[in-house]
Amino acid sequence: MSGGPMVQISIESACEKQVQEVALDGTETYVQPLSMSQNLAKLAQLIDFGQGSASEDEGGEGEARGQEWGKQEQEEDEATVKFQPSLWPWDSVRNNLRSALTEMCVLYDVLSVVKEKKYMTLDPVSQDSTVGKTPPVLQLLGKKKSLATAAQLLLKGAEKLNKSVAENQENRRQRDFNSELLRLRSQWKLRKISDKILGDLSYRSAGSNSLQGRFFPHQGTFEVIKNTDIDLDKKIPEDYCPLDVQIPSDLEGSAYIKVSIQKQAPDIGDLGTINLFRRQLKPKSGTQPWHLKLEAAQNVLLCKEIFAQLSREAVQIKSQIPHIVVKNQIISQPFPGLQLSISLCHSTGDKKNQKSTPDKNKPDDHLYVLEHNLHQLMREFHKQTLSSVVMPHPASAPFGNKRMRLAGPMAYDKAEITSLQQSEGLLEKIIKQAKHIFLRSRTARTIDSLASRIEDPQIQAHWSNINDVYESSVKVLITSQGYEQICKSIQLQLTIGVEQIRVVHRDGRVITLSHQEQELQDFLLSQMSQHQVHAVQQLAKVMGWHVLSFSNHVGLGSVESIGNASAITVASSNGEYSRNGPESGCKVMVQFPRNQCKDLLKSDVIQDNKWNYLRWPHKEVHWSKMEGRNFVYKMELLMAALTPCP
Amino acid sequence: MGVTCVSQVPVAEGKSVQQTVEMLNRKLEQLGAVKQGNFCVDCETYHAGAIGNPGQPPKFLYVMHNSEAPLSCFALFENGPCLVADPNFDVLMIKLKSYFQNAKSNKVESRGARYQYCDFLVKVGTATMASSARGITVEVEYCPCVTANDCWNLLMEFMQSFLPSHVPGVPSVFGVKTDGVYSPSDTMAQYLELFSKLRKQQAATGSGMR
Repeated sequence: MSGGPMVQISIESACEKQVQEVALDGTETYVQPLSMSQNLAKLAQLIDFGQGSASEDEGGEGEARGQEWGKQEQEEDEATVKFQPSLWPWDSVRNNLRSALTEMCVLYDVLSVVKEKKYMTLDPVSQDSTVGKTPPVLQLLGKKKSLATAAQLLLKGAEKLNKSVAENQENRRQRDFNSELLRLRSQWKLRKISDKILGDLSYRSAGSNSLQGRFFPHQGTFEVIKNTDIDLDKKIPEDYCPLDVQIPSDLEGSAYIKVSIQKQAPDIGDLGTINLFRRQLKPKSGTQPWHLKLEAAQNVLLCKEIFAQLSREAVQIKSQIPHIVVKNQIISQPFPGLQLSISLCHSTGDKKNQKSTPDKNKPDDHLYVLEHNLHQLMREFHKQTLSSVVMPHPASAPFGNKRMRLAGPMAYDKAEITSLQQSEGLLEKIIKQAKHIFLRSRTARTIDSLASRIEDPQIQAHWSNINDVYESSVKVLITSQGYEQICKSIQLQLTIGVEQIRVVHRDGRVITLSHQEQELQDFLLSQMSQHQVHAVQQLAKVMGWHVLSFSNHVGLGSVESIGNASAITVASSNGEYSRNGPESGCKVMVQFPRNQCKDLLKSDVIQDNKWNYLRWPHKEVHWSKMEGRNFVYKMELLMAALTPCP
Repeated sequence: MGVTCVSQVPVAEGKSVQQTVEMLNRKLEQLGAVKQGNFCVDCETYHAGAIGNPGQPPKFLYVMHNSEAPLSCFALFENGPCLVADPNFDVLMIKLKSYFQNAKSNKVESRGARYQYCDFLVKVGTATMASSARGITVEVEYCPCVTANDCWNLLMEFMQSFLPSHVPGVPSVFGVKTDGVYSPSDTMAQYLELFSKLRKQQAATGSGMR
C-alpha cells in the first residue's frame, strides 16, 4: 500500500512426488507416479465388490435388481453356471448404464418427435387463465410493499454510510487543525504558554536583538487560534482554514521602504526611485492564508526596524548638511542640489492606492545596482549583529569582530585596529553609494553631451565593466577620425570616486576634479584643443615637416576663458611655415618666402638676392573654406599642398 | 610595523632629566615633527620557579606592555623567547601567583610624548622606577621598512640630526635575526635590555653611594 519495503514472497509447489531415495551427491530419486492403468487397478483393489450396497434405497433397489437379476440369472444360470449373483461386481454399474440408456432412448424419441413431427407432435398444456390471476390493485400493493422494504433497506444502509462519512469529516477537520499546526510549526517559531499558542515573527534569531535592537524591542508575537466558527451543515468555503493567526495591530497591512534620489536644480537629472522590500504577495495555490499574513507582518517589522536604525543614525552622525528626520521620512543632501529621501510607506488594511504612485517607473529611473546594493547592506547589517555572538568562539575572546582576536597576539598598532573596526553606519553607506551613483551618471552625461556636441576631435569613452560600489573608472580617448593611429597622445583615465574625480593623463599628470560638472567639461575641452596641436605635431613627422616650436600653453594672443591656447610651428623642407593655435577656434597662418609673394612691390632696398628668401609676414588661411572633414585632414591637405615637389 | 631602534640618552651636563627631555622635544618640534599624544612602555618582573631551590640562579620573567600595541601583552625572558599575547595574560599571571611571584618593587616604566615626522615615529620618554626618574629613552621607528639591516643607515642618519652627538650602535637584536624581518617583540627586547641596564646602574650607584 503505502511505503514499506516490498516483501518477497516465494511460492514453492508442494512436493508432488515422494522422494524415494537421496543419493550421495544430492540427487533425489522420486517415486514414479502411477500410470493410468496402475492407478485404476489400485483403486479397483479398494473396491470391495463382494459387499452389497449399504443404504436402504439402494438396498431395496439392489434387492429388486438382485431379484430381477436373480430371475435373469436363473434364466441364465441354466445357460451359464459361472455367474453367481452375489459375486457379480459390475451389477450396479450395469444397472446404471441400462437406466442411462433408457433415458437416452427416451430423449432421442422426444427429440425426434419434436424435430420430425411425423407421427407425434408436442402440444402445450392449456392453462387456465383465471387460475392464479390477481386484481391489479393487489398487484400494485404488493409491488409497493416490496419496493418499500427494498427502499428501507437501502435507506438504512445509506444512513449508516452518511454517519460514517460525517464522522470521518469531523475527524479530518480535527486532524486538519493539527496538521495545519504542524505545517505552521515547520516554518515559524511557536511555543505554548498555558493554553495559548504564541509564535514569534521577529528577526531575533537572525541577530536583530542585540545592541542595535535594544532600541527597537518589538516583540513580534502572534497568536494562533482555532477557527471553529464553521457550520457543518453549510457548504465549507474553498479557502477555509481551521487555523487562524492574530498579529499585533501595528504590524497589519504591508510596508516597504522607498529610496529616491531627486534633483533640485535643473541641470541634473532625476536619478530615480527604488522600492525596497515591496513584495506583491501572489498567493500561490496551496499557500495558506496564515502564511501570507505572517510574511506580510514580518516584512512590516523588518521595514520598521531598518527605518528605526536609519533614523537613529541620521540623528547621531554629524555631517555638513544635517539630515532631516520627519515622521517616517529621512531627507539628506549628499550634494547641493541633490536630495536623497528614504521613506517608510506603510499601508494598513485594504485601502487601495491611498497615495501610492502607480508602479509605472520608467526603466531608466530604476536603479538596479543601487537596489541590489541596498538589499545587500540590509542583510549585512543583520549578519553583522549576529556574527558577533555566533558560536563557536573562545570563552575568553571579546565580543566584536573575529579578526580583533588576533590583535593581541599579532601586536597590531592603533592604525591596524581602527581599520579592522567598522565605523560606518548604514545611513552613511547609503549616502556614499548615492553620491557615487549620482557622480557617475553626471560624468557620463557630460561626456556624452560633449561627444554629441563637438565633432571634430572625437571623444570615446570606454567604461570598465567591473566597478566598486564606491568607485568606477572610465577611459576617455580623444581622436580625430581617420587619424587614430598617429594621434594617440590624449588618453585620460578617469576614476570616479564618492566625491571626486581623479584624472590620470597619459603623460603622467594626475589631476583631481571636484563634483562640479563644469570642471570636467572645461577640462575635456582644453584637452581637445591640445589634441589638435598634438595631432599636427604627429602629422608633421609623417609628412616630413620639421617642428620648430611647440607649446602647450602659449602666453601670446587672446586670453582664453577655459584653459590655455596651444600653438605649434612647423616648417616644410624648403621653408614654408605654418603656425596654428586652436582653442577658441583654429588659426592657421602660412608664411611664404619673399620671392613667392606676388603682391610685392619691387623696391631698390634689396641689394642682394639672398634677402629675397626671407620670410614674409603671415597670411591667415580661410580655414572654413578648406576642404576636409576635420582639422587634421585639412592640415594634411594644406601641408601636402605646400610641400615642394622635388 | 616598522624597524625600531631604542637607545638611552645620557642626561645633559648640569641639567635634570626633565630638562633634557624638554630640550629633545623642542628640537624635534623645530625639526618639524608633529606631537601625536603620549606613549607608555612598562615592564614588570616575575620570579619564575619556586624560591626554595638553592644553587639555582633565579629566572626572571618580564611582562611588558606597549601603548603602541594597545591590545597586546609581551612576556619575555632575558635573551630568551618572547610571547605576544592578549591582555588576558595579565590575569593569567595573577592566577599563577604560586609559581610566578611578582617583584613589585622592580617595575620600570617609560612615559613621554610621541612625535611623528613623515615616515618616522619618535618617542622620547623618561624611564622611572619606583617614581624616581632614572634615565631617558629614545625610540625611533622607521615605519615603511621591515628589514632591519636595510634601513639602519637611514635610522642612524636621522638620529644624528636631533640627538646631541650621541648615536647608539647597532642594536644587538638586528644581528640575531635569521630572516631579517623585524617584529614588535624585538622592540620589547631592546627596551628590556635598556631597563636592565638602568636597574644595574641604580644598583651600582646605590651601592656606591653607601
